[in-house]
Amino acid sequence: MSIRILAALAIATAGAVVSSTAAAISPAELQTSLAAEARQADPAFREFSAQRGETFYRAKHGGDWSCSTCHTDNPAMPGNHAVTNKAVKPLAPAANPDRFTNPEKVAKWFKRNCNDVLKRACTAQEKGDLVAWLLTVKP
Amino acid sequence: MKATLLSAFLLIAATGNALAGSHVYGPFPADYVEECGSCHVAFPPQLLTAPGWQRVMEQLDKHYGADASLEDKRRTAIADFLRRSASTRDKHAPTEASARLSRTAWFAREHGPTPPAKVSFAECTACHTAADRGDYSERSIKLPAGWRRAR
Repeated sequence: MSIRILAALAIATAGAVVSSTAAAISPAELQTSLAAEARQADPAFREFSAQRGETFYRAKHGGDWSCSTCHTDNPAMPGNHAVTNKAVKPLAPAANPDRFTNPEKVAKWFKRNCNDVLKRACTAQEKGDLVAWLLTVKP
Repeated sequence: MKATLLSAFLLIAATGNALAGSHVYGPFPADYVEECGSCHVAFPPQLLTAPGWQRVMEQLDKHYGADASLEDKRRTAIADFLRRSASTRDKHAPTEASARLSRTAWFAREHGPTPPAKVSFAECTACHTAADRGDYSERSIKLPAGWRRAR
């Protein structure tokens, strides 16, 4: 095998590693995979509800915080962290197109924030409802 | 001799240590800033000892009232960076189980026991206006009107 081929292979492999961690998705693709997950958990699952998502967003779920505590009543607006006051960028994709495009970040923040607000993991139905509503929020 | 001095200097520069008295830290690795600089500024690792950082990193799921958990690979890499860059001085040692950086002897001496009203000690930028760039120098400090450091 020539050095040139080896070098090309090395570059291709390195590229694959980078793209596998950075593979961007659209919020619609996220909804498709959440829907598959929701159907698996409950065969009676039909579709996500933006209205249920909004109720979920504003509820305190028995604790001190709701989603809106940091993300504000209007998720198209920037917010502030409840403890540290650090700026939080808007959550609604229409106001911040980076939101819900990186599956690793989506998983990380749902895990953390669901634990903070609900003291448990969110279901696929809850996540899908929430994203369905956020996609309807216009700046 | 010259080579030794030069490599010592390069080592200090590479670990992101602030040069003595400059109060400017970093730059820090991108994954550290991304993961530990979302909810608060990425704190200078030099302000807590290695056992302190270890304690912080072992309880990320219960991080001062919030879940800050990380997937294992990233957590290990960041814990490694913190251990390498940590302080070795007693004044930066943790003083309680959760190893708050804001409870070390050094922090208490510099800041007093209580932050200004409506400010958390985790909100460095409230007074250190350039803390998001690792700059804690005197010239970038802006204290709330009327606030005096208690002793």
